[in-house]
Amino acid sequence: MKRDLISIEDLSEKHLRDYLELGRRVDDMSPEACRQILAGKILGVLFYEPSTRTRLSFEAAMLRMGGQVIGFSEALNTSVAKGESLADTIHTVEQYCDAIVIRHPREGAARLAAEVSRVPVINAGDGANQHPTQTLLDLYTLQNLFARIDGLRVSLVGDLKYSRTVHSLFHALSKFKDVRFTFVSPETLKMPEYVIEAIEGAKVDVKETTSLEEAIADSDVVYMTRIQRERFPDPIEYEKVKDTYRLDCAALRNAPEHLKVLHPLPRVNEIATEVDATRHAAYFPQAGYGMIMRQGILAHLLGAKI
Amino acid sequence: MSPEQILLIPKIENGFVLDHIPAGSGVKILNLIRGHHELNAAVLSVGLHYTSRRLGRKDLIKIQCGELPQRFLQHLSLVVPGVTIKRVENFAIARKIVLEPPELVDNLLSCPNPGCITNHERGVTTCFHLVRREPMKFRCNHCERWFALAELENRLKL
Ligand SMILES: [Zn+2]
Repeated sequence: MKRDLISIEDLSEKHLRDYLELGRRVDDMSPEACRQILAGKILGVLFYEPSTRTRLSFEAAMLRMGGQVIGFSEALNTSVAKGESLADTIHTVEQYCDAIVIRHPREGAARLAAEVSRVPVINAGDGANQHPTQTLLDLYTLQNLFARIDGLRVSLVGDLKYSRTVHSLFHALSKFKDVRFTFVSPETLKMPEYVIEAIEGAKVDVKETTSLEEAIADSDVVYMTRIQRERFPDPIEYEKVKDTYRLDCAALRNAPEHLKVLHPLPRVNEIATEVDATRHAAYFPQAGYGMIMRQGILAHLLGAKI
Repeated sequence: MSPEQILLIPKIENGFVLDHIPAGSGVKILNLIRGHHELNAAVLSVGLHYTSRRLGRKDLIKIQCGELPQRFLQHLSLVVPGVTIKRVENFAIARKIVLEPPELVDNLLSCPNPGCITNHERGVTTCFHLVRREPMKFRCNHCERWFALAELENRLKL
């Protein structure tokens, strides 16, 4: 059966651990060996809205596995702008390529693409809904930094209300054992109840606070997020909270030695550049792990043995 | 049902009695019947605000027709779950079922999320799953949002 990667909600703990193992196997391979894995394969990269970082990461991953890439990075000058349906675009593009990566402003677009496509589909973001490869790369980063995920103390910081990255990461981490969470956010950007109640069955240990420093002292991982202007219905609300959490060296004064700071990037000013040089900064390596994770994902979905 | 209540609404020879409708929901069902053209010619008798031991007040609808369309029953189970349907043959109740909410709602609804792709693509089939019973919640297969029944009842695809 065709394999797709659409939503982190589709993945069990076993699936998640299998993906982490795929990343490790790619990492163990020589660059020459990697280039044989997807040689002759073509990846269709359909970005209906721009996201340079995610697109570059997928393209680099495909090229490093020896494959090639076609696609578009915004829908403005394509047949889409002329009113072509998503299904028609998929039926056309699947003639040209062996797998499709799609990013789309509408929630559920990747699921729909997977339903109509005969080649594997990877969701690279569907509106406010899912971005599963981001979550997998976050997990893979943690696995590499700590050699485990079970038992980690993770602080999620910033916009916990609108950030799908944080929602998915929270759901995925809650499938592992004894992960303890601290939610750090302004009152108005708290983790929504529906996100917490959706983790049926799993019992999670959650603390909520508005104090970043308090959370840092008690964490292995601090996951920072950008407070995104475009998510706010009311610009005044955005102005009120935009600079609430700024991580600088002073804020890291009481951090445990081994504490790591992650961020999905791009950052604006939630992490001061002075943090980059500290042993805590892990957000650039995170991007590197991201590419490796995506190499593993591509190989798996395209049915290559690694 | 007490004798004077039976007098309020005539007995039917063949058809269906929709019973145990919470008071006020009878009108929703009438609207639903109107939306299903197969039932447009059926003779209806409607009773509103009966006293009921179980519900306090209840509505009751009798439909004289041969069969109730499957799609109508599925919609009905979403609009007013818990309704009892009695099949009447020769003035007697032949069968009785309590309509449970469906586990899977296959292309009966449009998604209440305006950002959901299913509201922007022509000819898409929607699908919702029952993900929680207390309180009842359904999840859109595409945008993955959860919805309460109250949010779905005016989203029926008729
Ligand atoms: Zn939806």
